[in-house]
Amino acid sequence: MGTSITTWENVTAYFTFADSPIMLMLFALGAAGIVIGLIGSIIKHENEAFDKLK
Amino acid sequence: MDETTLTLESLQAQLAAQQSTFDMHQAMNVEVFYWWCTAIMMMIHAGFLAYEMGASRSKNALAAGIKNILALAVIIPTFYLFGWWIYNAFPGGLIPTNASSALPWAASMGPDVSDMGTGIFWAAFALFGATTGSILSGAVIERIRVSAFLILTVFLGSAIWILAGAWGWHPEGWLLTDLGYHDVGASGVVHAVAGFFTLGVLINLGARKGKFINGVAQTIAPHSLPMTLIGLMMIIFGFFGFLGGCIIFNGGETGWTTIYNTPTNLSAFAFNTLMGFSGGIIGCYIATRDPFWTMSGGLVGIISVAAGLDLYSPTLAFIIAVCMGFAAVWFAKFLEKRGIDDAVGAVAVHGFTGFVAVILVGVFAGGTPNMGDNPEISFLGQTLAAVIMALLGFIPGYGLSLLLKKLNALRVPESAEDLGIDEVELLAKPYPESNTPASTDSDVPNKLANVEPQGI
Repeated sequence: MGTSITTWENVTAYFTFADSPIMLMLFALGAAGIVIGLIGSIIKHENEAFDKLK
Repeated sequence: MDETTLTLESLQAQLAAQQSTFDMHQAMNVEVFYWWCTAIMMMIHAGFLAYEMGASRSKNALAAGIKNILALAVIIPTFYLFGWWIYNAFPGGLIPTNASSALPWAASMGPDVSDMGTGIFWAAFALFGATTGSILSGAVIERIRVSAFLILTVFLGSAIWILAGAWGWHPEGWLLTDLGYHDVGASGVVHAVAGFFTLGVLINLGARKGKFINGVAQTIAPHSLPMTLIGLMMIIFGFFGFLGGCIIFNGGETGWTTIYNTPTNLSAFAFNTLMGFSGGIIGCYIATRDPFWTMSGGLVGIISVAAGLDLYSPTLAFIIAVCMGFAAVWFAKFLEKRGIDDAVGAVAVHGFTGFVAVILVGVFAGGTPNMGDNPEISFLGQTLAAVIMALLGFIPGYGLSLLLKKLNALRVPESAEDLGIDEVELLAKPYPESNTPASTDSDVPNKLANVEPQGI
């Protein structure tokens, strides 16, 4: 469903959703969210681990 | 062959077909070259992994390692999201130009039959960025919070260094067009920037507990010096990918050029990389007689000549590297006497050496012309650019780490530092079946007792 092409003739960018910048922006936001979420989860884990030492 | 078929039109058609095949294979060769450069650069990170784990005490070995692994994992996507755009948008300074084709939703930022360059260059630059993160990583071991390190490394690896890259490592970068900047092997844009960013962080992070007693530096010995030596040699191996990624493989008749479009070739890089490597080892060995610094000298040597890798006579490169081996050790001592605990000497090896390396190009290769209207290489231009690189690294490193410190999010608590970050945060031990204490009583005299730390 996400393919951006219907034929290999004269094809250029052929990756999924290449013809849909909105979808690519949403994916980019999702990727950014994952990185931020990772760091957030590490902060939470660290705080919990350090609290156990008190 | 039937002569009647050899018309002018048919010959032209055959020539066009052969030219098309040649062009395609040339484009594929470019991709192949940078693909393997990127792969070899991964060895830098394997090396940093071993080197930093070895440099840590065993109670923090895994924390040092996980930091390296996660640094790669966050720099690669963030470099995709905004790093590549920064490189393309900011060659003129701090005001962005249109670089929409480098945004993460552009058609060229994904599989594209008509674009055989963007992905492979993005990959090489992403790995350059990861190298800056690794430079920071070693210096801050055994007391930084992993989360704080990752925040800092995203800024350094996906924003700060690549801004320096846009200014000084881009055909239209203002340091080139205004100052004639020359830094082919990234002594300034990677090593000086990352080293001075690290210095800014170290000032706010503080020393490891026990490093200074009554102001006197103490030895905190690596738990595995052999692992650090092997790791450093792996980094040297990876440098061949790194430096290969610094040369431009052009299509057409141009052949190899520097990133500034001046002629060069891999032979030039080979002469001076190896002569610099050798010289740095000799300089650091004579200065310290210490294994860790001797092997670090290989890095010092390469970085000290990297900026002028295409221009130096090999014997001059060797002499520069020997001298910089001494100078880097001196700078490490200088920092330590001022209470800076740089666990692996990263500021001296990368920051200081990279900074001086940029200036040395002005000293020894001043007057060398650049292409087009760009000014020639000059001592003044190189010195100004070196200062800019140092400040571009130091100011955000200091500012961001100060903010994290104010938020109490920079450093692990003292109790965690005492127990070891592995046990507290990772719930793991590097050597769970080992019952051998790190030091044992022995009748053999300990020659290393009561000597200066790390031989410096």
